[in-house]
Amino acid sequence: MLTSVFIAAVSLVLFWMAAFTLWWQMHAWRTPEVLASTRFSRPDGGEGLSFSLLLPARHEQAVLDHTIQRLLESSHADFEIIVIVGHDDPETAEVARKAAARDPRVRVVVDHHEKKNKPKAMNTALPHCTGDVVGVFDAEDQVHPELLAHVDHAFRSTGADVVQGGVQLINFNSSWYSLRNCLEYFFWFRSRLHLHAQKGFIPLGGNTVFVRTDVLREADGWDPDCLAEDCDLGVRLSSRGKKVVVAYDSDMVTREETPGTLMSLLKQRTRWNQGFLQVYRKKDWKQLPAFGQRMLARYTLMTPFLQAASGVLIPLNAAIALFLDVPVGIAFVTFLPAVTALVTFVFEVVGLHDFGKQYGLRVRFIHYLKLVVGGPFYQVLLAGAAVRAVWREQRGRNDWELTSHVGAHLTAATVTRESREDVPA
Amino acid sequence: MTSTLPAATSTSSVPAQQSPAHETTPATGPALRFRSSRADLILCGVLLAAIITVQGWNIADYPTLSDDEGTYLAQAWAVQEGRGLAHYTYWYDHPPLGWIQIALLTWIPSLINPEWMTVGSMRTVMLLISAASSVLIYVLARRLALPRWAAGLAMVFFGLSPLSVVLQREIFLDNIAVMWTLLAFCLAASPSRHLWHHFGAGIAAAAAVLTKETMLVVLPALFVTMWRHSHRDTRKFALTGAVTACAMIGLSYPLFALLKGELFPGSGHVSLWDGLEYQMTRPGSGFILDAGTGSYGVLQSWLYYDRVLPLGGLAGALLLLVTFRWSVTARALAGPALTVAILALVAMRPSGYLPAMYIIQALPFLALVLAGGAASVVHAVLRRWRRGEEHRYLTSARYVLATVLALAAAAYVVPRWYDGARTAVTTDANAPYQAASKWLTTRVADPVDTRVLVDDALWLDLVHAGYRPGLGVIWFYKADLDPAVTKTMPDGWRDLDYVVASPTVRRDAVDLPNVKQALEHSTPVVTFGKGDDRIEIRRIDGAGTRGGTR
Repeated sequence: MLTSVFIAAVSLVLFWMAAFTLWWQMHAWRTPEVLASTRFSRPDGGEGLSFSLLLPARHEQAVLDHTIQRLLESSHADFEIIVIVGHDDPETAEVARKAAARDPRVRVVVDHHEKKNKPKAMNTALPHCTGDVVGVFDAEDQVHPELLAHVDHAFRSTGADVVQGGVQLINFNSSWYSLRNCLEYFFWFRSRLHLHAQKGFIPLGGNTVFVRTDVLREADGWDPDCLAEDCDLGVRLSSRGKKVVVAYDSDMVTREETPGTLMSLLKQRTRWNQGFLQVYRKKDWKQLPAFGQRMLARYTLMTPFLQAASGVLIPLNAAIALFLDVPVGIAFVTFLPAVTALVTFVFEVVGLHDFGKQYGLRVRFIHYLKLVVGGPFYQVLLAGAAVRAVWREQRGRNDWELTSHVGAHLTAATVTRESREDVPA
Repeated sequence: MTSTLPAATSTSSVPAQQSPAHETTPATGPALRFRSSRADLILCGVLLAAIITVQGWNIADYPTLSDDEGTYLAQAWAVQEGRGLAHYTYWYDHPPLGWIQIALLTWIPSLINPEWMTVGSMRTVMLLISAASSVLIYVLARRLALPRWAAGLAMVFFGLSPLSVVLQREIFLDNIAVMWTLLAFCLAASPSRHLWHHFGAGIAAAAAVLTKETMLVVLPALFVTMWRHSHRDTRKFALTGAVTACAMIGLSYPLFALLKGELFPGSGHVSLWDGLEYQMTRPGSGFILDAGTGSYGVLQSWLYYDRVLPLGGLAGALLLLVTFRWSVTARALAGPALTVAILALVAMRPSGYLPAMYIIQALPFLALVLAGGAASVVHAVLRRWRRGEEHRYLTSARYVLATVLALAAAAYVVPRWYDGARTAVTTDANAPYQAASKWLTTRVADPVDTRVLVDDALWLDLVHAGYRPGLGVIWFYKADLDPAVTKTMPDGWRDLDYVVASPTVRRDAVDLPNVKQALEHSTPVVTFGKGDDRIEIRRIDGAGTRGGTR
């Protein structure tokens, strides 16, 4: 009897967690009107804002020049590119200086911090920004030339303080986990982030994010001690009631690549999880005015850990229902979370189809198969990263673990280098 | 304060409008909101009151109590009493959701007075189902872009056809399944085209199928409706979601059997497989248009009550399917028209078994397509081939023609339906049953030790009178078909005290040796009613040793 009650209670909690997550994940597709509203609206032709684009680069001499050239092709009339290099990284600095010599719109700022990380680098560059809006990109990003014009229009037509554009991992056929990783980004930027914007609590992404310069300075820039400074900035700004707008257009997303090895994915995920944990403990989200917003914040920042727990508990629960002798009614309750997980799976399959359609990629049967079969293993990976994050945070280890990148999304030659990546859970 | 971007306002990429949903406007949401339209609410409310009055008045006494009603209500009673899904072994004859719902609906009344748990008094709860279905049909009609008057007409057809009045009063699973199906259609045609509305439509459809499995054949029409009412950009998510939801809920039935170890046949237990096999191999009742077959008889019994709805509805469906290319109404009503077509084709299977309640699941769709057909005709008369300035006389002529048509239709329908309604609210068809129940309640000295074969409709009455459920008061056919019962009757009919020979018992006894012998070796103690409808209480010869007459 007690077992039954316990199992039923656990099942119901898991069910609600899974159901809420699914509900939010499917936000963009709720109605055709919602889907239409997630896109950039068409620019009216006028341009009013000037941009300062931050480009932190560390040991990225191989790709940096390409990224700068592509940014310079932007159709917008008024922008500067500030490349931030470390004082101990002469190769990258060399590439940046050459680019600056070629084009007056490019400037170089040197970061002299002894221990380096991305928030410190960007804070170093912040005083040098002359534009109305600060934008952040990573050294390996492929940015669409029309993006700035659209962002400009979005700022002016909505009165936003922050505009978050879409970021998308593209190399879904590199490995089984890259498939799931791509899809995670797809659901996050395509759908879930819009819900966060609507609800007034948003963890921002690490790049393709644009903030009004005065707002950013007022907020004292990025938190140099946080492992997820992007998420933290979003939480702090939305807690202060700043207006955040999210827009996703498949032809205007910033394209990125998945980490090259399973280990680097694990490290990357560990860092985000640890960062989310830090943001949670900073308690800025407690200033959110509405109870619902605070609950959403609490839940979102805890997600990596809840996800890890439910990934283990849901199958366990179903197994208990099948193999232990519980009443049929209780057995049905225990299947609820599994059923919800299955529905999520089905929507992921449909999402993969949509992803292929949006990006003109050929998704084959084998990919769907990988998606389904890889699901449980990916859960294990996420759970591992969550455990690792808690462990590292307990031990006070909050240094940056860098992950190596292969330029798999770049059509040009393959390059290997050390870099870091950002964005969501 | 944060928000997403406002919807794109340029010419492209605005959520497209589709022909069936032409009443909706994209950015500001649907123009048609049932809840906030006073005219709709008043019309629907008035019609609902009329339907409830006609269906509810005299509900216990007309029509004659049916054996099936007794079956489902008794099983609902078993659920309430915690005796499992049936008081005899549940053998997967139907999915149990139907009488679980009846158990829920009758739960509170039966707490107030357990003796109300009899077929006659519990028919009242079917009024709730009828009311819900009637409102849903109005909403559905409006969502399928029918004008207000046509939606009202559909509601009237559905609720006041004499055939509906008779069938919807009875405690049939089909009535509950119809409610779920209508809900599924309403959600499928949701003006906001919301992902979770479509998901809900899948759940409602599964509930319908689990209530009465024959609803399975309607699912393709539901799918078509959903397809037409979803938007290109979100369709794949909406439809996949709906199908997944439906399959998930639907699969809970085999899962239930699996958990009980009764999915596949085996010795010593019932199984879902056996249940399905029984339903699929039921002896056919012949081709519906062959005079003399069982199916023909069933058809005639429907047409006896009403010709307008079944025949008019079929004609309406045909009209809509034929004019699909030209008529907006026909395209809007594609789902219901397809449903009628599917159900008609299934009924035409020469080898199939056609039960009397089969038509129940078609009633709402017949009503919708008949109303839609009427709307189509009226539109054609008033508007077709009208361009620009038309001569006043011609316009007047159009209106005269429309009025004449409407009056002619009313002159044909109203007297017939009035008669049907009058019969329904005045006839007392169940006096013999009530008298038999009273006699067995008051005149048998020792009910606890008395064993009596009855049909299912009387069974609960006798349970309340103190007879032992299951082995004391016995569903007559269990005396031949349920091993758990026959093993308590080693001497066959000699182990019984009474048999209540109702029309159903006499009809089915032909194939049931124990029941047949009990009838042969018994003499009537008392008879209620006359002719074929009479109910005899027959005492088994030499049964005086146990239960006696007071």
